[in-house]
Amino acid sequence: MSKNHVTVPTGAALRVKALETLLEEKGLIDSAQLDTLVDQYETKVGPRNGARVVAKAWADPAFRKRLLADATAAVAELGYGGPEGGHLVAVENTPKVHNLVVCTLCSCYPWPVLGLPPVWYKSFAYRSRAVRDPRGVLKEFGVEVPSKVEVRVWDSSAEQRYLVIPQRPKGTERMSEEQLASLVTRDSMIGVGLVKAR
Amino acid sequence: MKLNAQELLAGTPLENDLTFSAPWEARAFAIAVRLSEAGVCSWDEFRAHLIAEIGKADRVRAHGWSEDGDGYYVYFLRALENLLREKNLVDAPSLEAKMREITDAGHHDHEH
Repeated sequence: MSKNHVTVPTGAALRVKALETLLEEKGLIDSAQLDTLVDQYETKVGPRNGARVVAKAWADPAFRKRLLADATAAVAELGYGGPEGGHLVAVENTPKVHNLVVCTLCSCYPWPVLGLPPVWYKSFAYRSRAVRDPRGVLKEFGVEVPSKVEVRVWDSSAEQRYLVIPQRPKGTERMSEEQLASLVTRDSMIGVGLVKAR
Repeated sequence: MKLNAQELLAGTPLENDLTFSAPWEARAFAIAVRLSEAGVCSWDEFRAHLIAEIGKADRVRAHGWSEDGDGYYVYFLRALENLLREKNLVDAPSLEAKMREITDAGHHDHEH
């Protein structure tokens, strides 16, 4: 391809390009900083951070206690923080309680530990149904919650973001934290999945 | 635990959704984050605009039950434009003018 070949942006891409150029001309943003940010969210910040938090909570009872008491401070011990990371609350699944997280108004989500939310989390269907019919939604994700187990739905907001600590699967007693972390899925930390021992 | 790039890109259950479905979505996202980091606006101010745009779309959907998850960044972009207009930083005419300028420059390049 010729080096001079330029793809002319159209539609939304053109609007964003124009906004970026105008803001850069005003000295409010810097394109290089945008590159860094995008790279960070595409490759570095993601649910593996949360998986590491969950694995540590399973393996280290003192950490679990700190996480449940003040999740923002506990995940900072592992170096996780930043935008959308304040006011983090960890909610723990037990044999009696299953937790499910939603943001009914928009897309609030704990970025530093889970990255950016998946498309379905932002969808009208999920946002409108998770509160009204959590068991039905869970069933569609393949999670059958027995009727004797209470389902708690947490609606995220600017004030609070949630991280679900899924139940540690049986048969993982001898695993290292690293091995445990590899079992933890993003969906299980939103509450729409369970962790399996594989 | 050390993470390597290969592991991050391995397509495990954790990573089975693309963060952004088009580069402009990533760009719009990064602009909003940078503006709040730089103190031009707070994230909550931006969030209020986002909730308003999503709310409008929700009311339409509630009647027709159409589903379009990809629309999210369209609302995101509208919220960003609304915020910048409210802050008197970018108005509609200057945005339109800049879009024309970029388009003209691009087409000019193609002719050579």
